[in-house]
Parts: sequence; structure tokens; C-alpha cells
Amino acid sequence: MAKHMMTLTVNGDVYELMVSDNQTLLDVIRDTIRLKGTKRGCTTGACGVCCVNNAKGEAVLSCITHALEWDGESITTIEGLEANGELDAIQKAFIEFGAVQCGFCTPGVIMSAKAIVNKYPEPTEEQMNAGLAGVLCRCTGHVKVKEAVRQDHELREAARHAAAK
Amino acid sequence: MPPPNDLSVIGRRQPRLDGAEKCSGRSVFADDVDLPGMLCGKILRSPHAHARILKIDTSKAEALPGVKAVITAAHAKGMMGGRRGAEPVFADDLVTYKGREIAAIAALDERTAEKALQLIEVEYEELPPVLIMRHALQAGAPLVQADKPGNIWSDNIDSYGEPEQAFDTADLVFEEKFSTSVTHNLFAEFHVAVVDFTLPNKLTLWTPTQTGLLMQHALGPAFGLSVSQVQIIHLNTGGAFSGRGGVRPHHYIAALLSRKTQRPVKIFAAGDEEFLVCRALGENDYRMRIAVNKDGTIKAVDMDAHMDGGAFPSEVGYFGWMAGLCNSWVFPLQGNRLRRRVVMTNTRPHFLPHGGMMLTSNAAIMQLCTKIARSLGRDPIDFLRQNAIEAGHHGLSGEVFASCGLKECLDIVRRESGWDQKYGKLPDYHGIGVGIGAMASGAKGAFKHDTSAALVKIGEDGIVTLYTGIPDMGQGTHTTMAMITAEVLGIRADQVRVVAGDTDLTPIDVGAFAQRGTVQTGNAVKNAALDARGQLARNAAAQLGADEDQLVFRGGKIYAAGNPDKCLDFARVVYGTLHSGEGRFTMGRGFYNSPLKIKTTSWSFGAQVAEVRIDPETGVVSVLRVTVAHDVGRVINPLACEGQIDGQVFSAMSQLLYEEVLSDEGMYLNPSRLEYKMPRTYEMPEISHHFVETVDPYGPFGAKEIGEGIVVTTGGAIAAAVFDALGGQYIHKVPMSPWRILRAVRARERSAVA
Repeated sequence: MAKHMMTLTVNGDVYELMVSDNQTLLDVIRDTIRLKGTKRGCTTGACGVCCVNNAKGEAVLSCITHALEWDGESITTIEGLEANGELDAIQKAFIEFGAVQCGFCTPGVIMSAKAIVNKYPEPTEEQMNAGLAGVLCRCTGHVKVKEAVRQDHELREAARHAAAK
Repeated sequence: MPPPNDLSVIGRRQPRLDGAEKCSGRSVFADDVDLPGMLCGKILRSPHAHARILKIDTSKAEALPGVKAVITAAHAKGMMGGRRGAEPVFADDLVTYKGREIAAIAALDERTAEKALQLIEVEYEELPPVLIMRHALQAGAPLVQADKPGNIWSDNIDSYGEPEQAFDTADLVFEEKFSTSVTHNLFAEFHVAVVDFTLPNKLTLWTPTQTGLLMQHALGPAFGLSVSQVQIIHLNTGGAFSGRGGVRPHHYIAALLSRKTQRPVKIFAAGDEEFLVCRALGENDYRMRIAVNKDGTIKAVDMDAHMDGGAFPSEVGYFGWMAGLCNSWVFPLQGNRLRRRVVMTNTRPHFLPHGGMMLTSNAAIMQLCTKIARSLGRDPIDFLRQNAIEAGHHGLSGEVFASCGLKECLDIVRRESGWDQKYGKLPDYHGIGVGIGAMASGAKGAFKHDTSAALVKIGEDGIVTLYTGIPDMGQGTHTTMAMITAEVLGIRADQVRVVAGDTDLTPIDVGAFAQRGTVQTGNAVKNAALDARGQLARNAAAQLGADEDQLVFRGGKIYAAGNPDKCLDFARVVYGTLHSGEGRFTMGRGFYNSPLKIKTTSWSFGAQVAEVRIDPETGVVSVLRVTVAHDVGRVINPLACEGQIDGQVFSAMSQLLYEEVLSDEGMYLNPSRLEYKMPRTYEMPEISHHFVETVDPYGPFGAKEIGEGIVVTTGGAIAAAVFDALGGQYIHKVPMSPWRILRAVRARERSAVA
């Protein structure tokens, strides 16, 4: 298996990596960089637990993405949402509104939700449904997940007002 | 809902205490465990459903650089896995289902292990398989197991009350046949086992499970270890849905490989392999009969079931018993007869879906009840209400229903669903249906005891640590247990830290199945917290000059009842108890084992109304809304209870309308989360939650289960709604897939033309 050098920025940290042709982005995140928050599920792009965000804040299924295609790129994983020791508004909303149960799909669901609010700060029902359809969650049926996504905007606004004062 | 006056923690919306860990990627699941020197384990599975193994040659695989061990049945002589120890870990000379474990590899990495699998040469002599239950029952069918004539694993009839007399004397008898399909429990976390068995007297297994205890009891004897020499670590379990109730071949195989290589081994079952490892529902055929009088009294139910247990049926018959018995938990029957014939086929061993067999049996019963109500010119809710049991009712098999809010639940869903404006008034292919259900809490009978134990340690800073062995697979039990502890000690739930998920650290707990968490473990935790409180009360009473039993623990303070102004700080009392001449450290212990001889102490009850619309062109059923009322005894955490309802409505809808493992000649055709369909976000109905609090005398603070009571009832309500939408036509097979619905739609159109 041929190996190649690549540069990948993960959560703001720049990594110089030796990566094989057949390694996926998920392999690199979990096994090389050893960030275990992004989960290994079906490894065929069907379940969505491996979701991360690209530099534009869009959802990417890391298990069906070749790592080498990401040379020079930047991604955010679940570990990268916290800033200054504080959870992101979407993470807080998930906790407060009971959108997390077993927690296995949660990193994938949150990164999918984050991609939704990155694009649509106040998403409609359809935008939420479309953005979350790629992650399966038997525990919640996504009912409280959608409540949390709806709250994200309000929490963000409240934080902005508090900061302005 | 505000908390009741006498409670300060219970009844509040408490976010999960492990929420921040789970939402930030900090939570460690078994697949995240990465031990030094860990090897990758892979299993070679049989491509044949029924075959004799003539020869296995592993020499080429062993010679591959990077391969550390290759094992077969020869390395697991006499090792019996599965529930009830009926299933050899590897196929010895006979393969009895496709996907059966033949050999296993431990290698330095996954790619080497995969390559090595292909180098194992197995010579099979194919035998005629029997893949469908109907075929297994035919005369002359090949036998799955030589000593099971007719492929009958077990045949049991249980008769409660006087069913024969009830059927003989009833005005009317309704009878229909229903059947189910093969399913997968479809939890988020895939099957995985990490084993460190590098020291001879200690086996450590990281794996998702509903019960560490049963795994200790299975693995210990298999490897010549005592129960305590087996450590199960299951801090986070990524969903279970009745599918993680026991040990599976891959757990034994990981241990065998670790022992042989003297290195930790991880086995991860992804992709289609996951559908072979899983043990969920098999094909079941039910014949249901209901005896009823013209005045609407349901007199008796008779269930005659054939249940496909696959190649190793284990306890399928027991779950079938529950599927019939549960009818006497909602109706005051004169007779209840249940026959279960468990049949063997050359397919994956079957076990349990979410909600057990009760979901599908209830889907059958609620369609029948709707039919009966229509035939008698009765409103279905009135008809069910007339027959619903009440608190104090004595069941046919020794049950005493100490609390029951079934009728109240029916009244709530009638009002909240707009039933009276809708039933019988909806347009074609738009239906509304009602379901009721009950669920027992407890597993007494599965073992002699049904014990949970707990320890409560209070540090000198007043921070409380609770040690409990109950697994939390997402249902929120750890937070519930913290709330119970906090309520007893008069502190906040977030002042309780929960240590769980490691059998080395926690006291005994039978496990998180049979709906026993809140009731059994909850009582154990309450007892442990009361023990700790008693230790503090001695000190506090002396300081306050009050009697110990007069003390109130609330809001972080301790005071004599009626005199809250003269109070002591909880943390100061804890500190003073240790920092004294006596030097007493506060540590409470408690356990709970049902005082009753029967399986359970308490039942939850529920009623639901579902509204559906059917597209007559495609056969697709859309569930529009589900109105849920559940008698949960006492709501401990409304936020978690609502979450339980949402998830179970999803699961019931999924099982009833979507989930089916399709196969051809024993080969699974849709073993992936893409093709094995579940509802997606845009298919979810509106759900409304309503709770009835009957304050059960056995439950901690009166609480009962909300684990599977919902899923069973939703199944009944949606089935009844589909029946109504089709103008009173049965759908006889679950899942009610579009093509099955379409067949009913066409039949209806034809009869309309005729």
C-alpha cells in the first residue's frame, strides 16, 4: 500500500501525516490522530455517526471519504466545537432539551445539526428534516433533536446580548 | 408539571448528568478502547446454511506475516455459548446457519486479518437446509438438530382460568392469523468486544450490554473462572432495544484469541456481519382467538403461536409466553390460553425485538378489538374501557395489580386526540385507532433472585458518589438513580456522581432488562441513600435536639420537621461526622429483591391513539400523530420520560411499518442501515405526552417503568389505525410494508366494484 504525506487541519491543529491510499478520513481521525469522539458505525455511509464538518461548515461522512483527498484541507470534529472551555450553543441545547440518550450517534447528529445551523441560522422544519435524515437515531426518533436545533438560535442570540451588555 | 409538594428533586426536568460528556465526544464506548499491543480479531463465517465441515486448513493463514493466532472449534472444545448454553461457540463438524462461526483470526491490523480470513480453506459437504418455518414443519423436512424431531424445539401450553368454558359459552368468537418477519434491533453502536485475557485469573471485557452480571455468569464457567474474575466494562452502551441481553459467540472468541496471543483483542462487527451477530425477532405465526359476549365483555383470549427460533432458539418460547400472558394484564379475563411451538430452522438464532413479542401480538389483538367493537356497533375506546382492569384486580396467574391507571389513560387520549370528532368521520384511507397495553417490571423467575444493590459514599466535602451496576443504554437510568439519591439526601441531582458500568467497581445488579431499572435498582438506590441518611441523622439529631425520624433533608439543609429556620448545612454535617472523635465515614448500602414470589411487583399501563393516512397509489402509511398517555406511577424525570415516549413511538412505528430483513435461500438481501429501512426525520409523527401518576406502593416514590410499555401500546394503536383507514381490513403481516397495504387497498377496490 503506497503511503503519502499529507497535511490536515483538525479543530485548528495542523497535522503532518503519512497516510495510505486506502485510509478513510475516519481512520485518520480515530486511529492516527486518535480523536475518538467521531464514531465508527456502518463504515458504508448509511448510519451517519461518523459525520464531521468541512471548512465551509458542511456535513461530511468521514467513513466513505478517502483521507488523501483532504490534503491541505481543514475539518472540525465534535471535539472542536468547544471554545474557551465552553460548550457550543448547539451542544448546550442538546443537553438541556434532552436530545441525547445513548450518545453513540450524538457526535454525528450534532455535527449534522451544526451543518444545518451554519447554513440556516433559523432552519425550517424541512431544512432540519433534510439535514438530519442522514443520521439514524433510534433512541430519540429525532424529536428532541429538532427541539434542540430550534433552540440553538435563541441560545446564540441570548449569549450575544449578554456579551454586548 | 410542577413537582409534588413533598418532593424537591423528583418531578423536575433534569438534563442527563452525562450530557456534556456525550455531547462533546468525551464518552468512551467499547470501540474507543485502544489498549497497548491490541490485535484485530476477525471471524470466518459459513457461506452455507446447512453443511458438514469435512476439513479446515488454516496453515496458509497462520503463515501470513502479521497473523498472531488462528482458532477453530478445536480450540474451544466443549465451550457452549449463547443463552442457556445451548450454542457451541464455533461450529464443530456441522454448520446449521449461514454466518455461523467457523474460525477466527487475530492479526496486527484489520487488513492483515481480512487477508488471512481468505487464506483459510474449508471443505464443506452441503446439506439440504430448511430456511422457512413453514417448510421446517413439513413431514420429511431436513432436521436442524438430529435430536429434535419435526424441528420442534419446544411445545408448551399454559392455561390460566377457564378458557375452554369461556369459549364454549361466549356469544361470539373472533379468530384471525397474524405473522411477523425477521428483524434487527438496530441500535446505534455496532457489536463490538474488546478483551484483555493476558493474565490467567482475570478476564476483562469491554462491550455494550444490558447486563454485566449475565455476561460474568456465562464467561466465567466457560473459561474456568469464578464470577468475580470476569470484569465487564460497559460504561456507555449505544442503545440496546432488547438486543443486548446476553453473551454472543464473538465475546467468547475475542477472549479465546486474547488468551492464546497474550495480547488484548478487539472484534468489531460492521456492515452485513452485524445482522448475523444480532439476535432479534424471527418469523412468528399467531392464531389469535377472542371470546366475547354481545354486551361487549371480553371473556377469554387464546393464542396459538409457531415461533421460529432459528438454529439455536434459546428462550424464544418464554417471550412467546409473555406475548400471550400480557392480554390478561389489561383485560379481566375468565380464561387465557397460550400455546407456543418453537420451531428450528437453518437461520440465525432469534431472540427478541424491542418490546418483545408483545408489540406484534398487541398489533394483532388491537386490530381484533377494533373489529369486535365495529361488529358490536361500539366505539373502540368505550369497548376497551369497558374491559380495562382497575387497581386491585387479581390476574389469572397470581398477579395483583396494586396500581392501575388504564381507564384514566383511555380518557386522556380520547380527549387529547380529538377522537370524538374523528372516529368514523375521517375520509377514505385516513384512519384513527386506539391501543392499550401493560408492561411488567422485574425478572424474578429468570433467576431465583432479582437483586439490585447500591452503595452511596459521601465525601467529606458533601459530594455524593453512587455506585450502581445498572447499565444505561440511553434510557437515562443513571440520572434517574442520581435523582432518587438526591431526593433522599435533600441535595441537587448534579451533586451526585454516578459510578457505573464496571462490575469490578459496582455491587450486583441483574441488569437493565425486563423493565427492572427504575423499580428494582431504584429501590436499591433509595435504600442505600436512606442508610447513608440514617448515619448523618444520628449526628444531626443530636445537634438539633430533635428525634432522628423527625428530620427533614431538603435543599442542602437538615432540620426538624416544622422548624426549617433552625437548620444545619448538609455538607457541614457530613464533615462533622468524619472530623470527630468517632471519625465515622458516611457510606450507605442498600439492596432490593422483590418481596413477591411472582415475576414482578408492578405494571405500567398505557393507552394511545394513532392517526394515519394511507396513499392508495403507493401503499405508504404516514403516521400523522400519536397521542400517548402512560401510567408511569410517578414521573421521576419528565424530560427523560418524554424522551422514552418519543423513542418508543419511533421504534414501534419502525417495527410495525418498516423493518424486515429480507432473505433469499438464507442469504440476507438488505443487511445495511441503508436498505433495512427505519423511519427518517421527515416521516416522524407529531407526538403528545401525557402522564398518569398512580403512585405504586412498590416503586421508589411510586414510580413504575416507562421502558417498553409505550412501544407495545404504540404498535397496537398504529395497527388499529391502519385497520380503520382500510375500512376495517386486517393487515395480517408485520411489517405493514407498502406492498402489503397495497394488496389490501386493491382487495378493497375490487370488493367495492363487485
